[in-house]
Amino acid sequence: MAHIKEVKDMSKVKSMTKQREFRTLVFLVLLFVIVGLVNADFISSGNILNATKNSLLYIVLAVGMTFVLLTGEIDISIGAVLGLSASVSGVILRDGGSIFLAVIIAIMIGGVIGLINGLGVTKLKISSFIMTLGMLEIVRVTQVMFTNGKWVENLPENFKHISRMNMFGINVLTIIVILAVILIHFYLSNSRKGRYFAAIGDNEDGAVLIGIPVNRYKVIAFVISGVLASIAGLIFASQIGFISTTAGLGIEMTVIAAAVLGGVSLRGGIGSVIGAAIGAIIMSSINSALVFLKVPAFWNSAISGSLLIIIVVADALIARRANNRTRKERLNARILNYKEEV
Amino acid sequence: MEGLRLLVKFENIQKSFNQNKVLNGVSLEISESEVISIIGGNGAGKSTLMKILTGVYKADEGSIEINGEKVVHYNPSIAHSKGIYLVPQEPLLFPNMTIEKNLTIGFSKNKVKVREQARRLIKQLGWNLDLNRSAISLSIAEQQQVEIIKGLLRDAKVLILDEPTSSLTFAETESLFKLIEQLKASGVGIFYITHRLDEVFQISTHAVILRDGKVTLKGKINDFTKEMLIKGLLPLDSERSGNETFKKEFLDRSKEEPILKIQKLSGDGFKDISFDVYKGEVVGLAGLVGAGRTEIAEAIYGMNKVHSGKIYLKGKDITDLSANEKIESGLAYIPEDRFLNGIFSISSISSNVTAQVIKKHRFFIDKKFEKDITDEYVNKLSIKISNQDDEVKSLSGGNQQKVVIARILSTNPQIIIMDEPTRGIDAAARSDIYSIITQLKEQGYSILLISSDLEEIERISDRIYAIYRGTCQVCLGFDEINATNVMGAAFGTYKGSERHV
Amino acid sequence: MLKKIPKWNVVLLTTLLAEIIIFGLINPRFWNINILLNSFNDFVGIAIIAFFVTFVIITGGIDISGGSIIGLTSVVTGLLAQVYGLNIWVAALLAVLVGGLCGLLNGILIAYSKVQAMVITLGGMLLYSGIALVLVGFSGASTYEGISGFSQEFINLANGNLLGIPHSVIVFVVMLLIAYVLLHWTRYGRYIYLTGINQNSAEYSGINTRKIITSTYVLSGLSAGIAGIILTSYLGSSRADFGAEYLMPILTAVVLGGTLITGGKGGVVGTALASIIIGFLKLGLQMGGVQTQYIGLATGMLLIISVAFMGGQKFKLNVRRLLNLKKDRGGNLNA
Repeated sequence: MAHIKEVKDMSKVKSMTKQREFRTLVFLVLLFVIVGLVNADFISSGNILNATKNSLLYIVLAVGMTFVLLTGEIDISIGAVLGLSASVSGVILRDGGSIFLAVIIAIMIGGVIGLINGLGVTKLKISSFIMTLGMLEIVRVTQVMFTNGKWVENLPENFKHISRMNMFGINVLTIIVILAVILIHFYLSNSRKGRYFAAIGDNEDGAVLIGIPVNRYKVIAFVISGVLASIAGLIFASQIGFISTTAGLGIEMTVIAAAVLGGVSLRGGIGSVIGAAIGAIIMSSINSALVFLKVPAFWNSAISGSLLIIIVVADALIARRANNRTRKERLNARILNYKEEV
Repeated sequence: MEGLRLLVKFENIQKSFNQNKVLNGVSLEISESEVISIIGGNGAGKSTLMKILTGVYKADEGSIEINGEKVVHYNPSIAHSKGIYLVPQEPLLFPNMTIEKNLTIGFSKNKVKVREQARRLIKQLGWNLDLNRSAISLSIAEQQQVEIIKGLLRDAKVLILDEPTSSLTFAETESLFKLIEQLKASGVGIFYITHRLDEVFQISTHAVILRDGKVTLKGKINDFTKEMLIKGLLPLDSERSGNETFKKEFLDRSKEEPILKIQKLSGDGFKDISFDVYKGEVVGLAGLVGAGRTEIAEAIYGMNKVHSGKIYLKGKDITDLSANEKIESGLAYIPEDRFLNGIFSISSISSNVTAQVIKKHRFFIDKKFEKDITDEYVNKLSIKISNQDDEVKSLSGGNQQKVVIARILSTNPQIIIMDEPTRGIDAAARSDIYSIITQLKEQGYSILLISSDLEEIERISDRIYAIYRGTCQVCLGFDEINATNVMGAAFGTYKGSERHV
Repeated sequence: MLKKIPKWNVVLLTTLLAEIIIFGLINPRFWNINILLNSFNDFVGIAIIAFFVTFVIITGGIDISGGSIIGLTSVVTGLLAQVYGLNIWVAALLAVLVGGLCGLLNGILIAYSKVQAMVITLGGMLLYSGIALVLVGFSGASTYEGISGFSQEFINLANGNLLGIPHSVIVFVVMLLIAYVLLHWTRYGRYIYLTGINQNSAEYSGINTRKIITSTYVLSGLSAGIAGIILTSYLGSSRADFGAEYLMPILTAVVLGGTLITGGKGGVVGTALASIIIGFLKLGLQMGGVQTQYIGLATGMLLIISVAFMGGQKFKLNVRRLLNLKKDRGGNLNA
């Protein structure tokens, strides 16, 4: 009996290590430990908190992206949504509007853009890549038109203060985001409806068969992604204190890379928001790690790029080998009197 | 079976796809604790009948009663709620989810309870399934186990098992049979779809034979023998009289060198396969779906790995050549799934026809040459087209198949392997394909014909090798080819089996 | 296949003519042929990459690394010529080859590991622009000013004229011809389509689809290298961030040009027309007093509307394909 239990525990550990999130986490820890060995300041609690704070924006965007990617679609309009909602709410705040109003408007902007994306993909059958690419350009121009191509500056101090509030010495926003990520993780992995997102990307026919309203959930995913991009815009505005016309430019690619690094598959069905969040922290920590290693910052992009390629290709090769093995076993099981050759 | 509650009753079910009548008035019923084996060749209508029962298809005519109630508006989720559950041959699991998640998704019951129930069931069945494993890591047998548990969790009253043993090992099959016994004892009714006659006698209480959409034989298993079942599977003579016959003659080939010689070929899904194909003959590779024929063909063609054994083409060893080099040395293959592997659907007819032959040109494509080649084969094979530049997907299935045949003929092969060449095409085109095959034979081409349509293979092959569960133990010579022998060989019961090996 | 695309090309051509007429009515200076031809300088880089990204997309892939290969080749040219003193033309040639190598890496990883092209070229995008930054960093040159001081000869490559025709127009036409002949006249081009339409059928027909797929990425990398050289010459300096904003315009040109994002259908003439439409749109808006920043609104709309329009047909096609499949199954019954 004890033996069986042991085996069970072992398999639990094993299945945990098999999870991409776990491997990404190990990678993140290694990153901090190794850099910490070279420069102990890197693993000071101050720096770790700082690194997390700096990656908040990316985490929020990566969580939204994960919803869309899980269903097998993609959303590359998030950078522009971030910029537009930050600008609009920034102008409201600058002109003396209430924070509440600014937040509501921002969320509405993200929600509406997400809804249009979702309807375009599900009703007009436009590939999500093209739909959101077009949307990216449109929203970006809308931002320029709205701000007349000027930066939005002089945000009220009380709004900027939000991103600097601390509780028990930890940034309040950080706490909120981390709690939210954990909650969303449980929603996606344990709740009945939350699991539909991954199911759709995993096996769309199967999802239809068990009665999941596939199109509705895809639209919801785009709306969530849009809303979270808007929230990221608010965080951006509060953290930086001004909004340039290029706010969020090109950020969608970093976010996709972060999600993929965290084990989210672009084919859909695989991944978790925790993994995506860890990927986001890695992407944004590489920069500061280089500073602490006294390596010039210009290495940043080359390192993240090769990291992404190596991890993804290695993963694909491992998965393919496993698939080939099961296929073989399956075929050979059919053979009359087949005996496993040892 | 008095006293046992009637679970499902089919009454005169009819179903057509396009003009193709698949079910032609099937009536059938199942009560508690019955295991009804449904036997039939490929295309007999077994799967369609079961898909009607699970609400995937709607019957054109006839009625279904479940628990004594006639069902009107019917769909898969109503079927689930009425306790009808199909375990598909290829389980439709979510590959990237754990078993537990696969079991609980889409289920409104409390999850903890479901998990406990699943654990209890697995323990009760004596299976070794770890709920935390992801579905992608499961063997097909384990996937089936998960599907069965999925059904049991939903309190299935009628369980449909669609060829569950087709890829199970011996031990796994045994444990499945034990489960079936248990389920039977607890009152569940089971439809058991299979090709394997031994299993029918081992586990079922009743047997039903479907042929061409009709029930030809039905009754208690004790009333039958294997021979009677085989007989029920055979087509009626009267129905065949309208068909033309194909000229065959016996030739002594012992002096000749074979065009294609396969020697003790083994690979994934087949073992120790040997056969010869001579010039100008049609050799049939008979067997049921999943017997390993496509795997053999793909290994010969170079798409799958060969573990051991040799392939000779006109005496030359081509075992280790790539598909590309094999094509050059005169081998051609028409794949089974035309849509997946055969045609270039949104490309023009002419570029489909010339896809292989343009290889002979250096660099540029000669449009005139393309047009001429296409014209030539459109005429030769009487392909019905309105314009060479039309997309191939605008053609009917039969004409698409002819385009594929044109493509491989243009490379001037020595031997053509045709894998299910008449699958999914209408009767007229079917007989066109038959006459193309006969013409090719007369012109000296050798043809290896793979078909699950045992009638077809019997009618046009000069000789037949039967593949049964990845092995080849029967060769039917010119004078041994008849419906009974072919059927028996495909189902692994042919008397001459031992003799050949 | 040959029927529908020209139809789309006619639509594009009409759009282009309408554009020229309308902008000319707003500002007659737009009808000045020299101004029109000179405007090619602003989009020739986008166009020549788009020609070969068309190849990639026809095979069913995507390449988003082109923009960053521009930056890399620009830096390589600058470094080799200005810092290491190599002959500028040798340097340029080597830089183009570097672009080809980047494409080769993309192609091999995509064709052989079967990871989605999007992920690999996203990694490639980060990697190649990263290498460019690293090279600049090591050379000690300023990231913002870049490396300058190229010979007039080299500057002339993009800025010169031949019989009054700007070099950029000639480059555009030559690259278009090469792409057109390769894609529409050769066996290789046919294989690209066949691979994109049905990779399985292509394999069964004895086509080495992996090689075909890899080669399209190499071509796309080479064309990005050439674009990098042209841009370096045009602007007279080499910087790592050249081409960074090219990603969206390249894809817009290909998709607007009528190439199916799912592969198998399309052509370079459409891509060429689409890139001219976008280029002239920019010019026209500029001359009409509209800020160039607003051009995204027009291209974004064009993109979505045109794809929705084409998608309407694809949608029908999918429905028909499903029905066909069912018929096939029905006929044989996977019993």
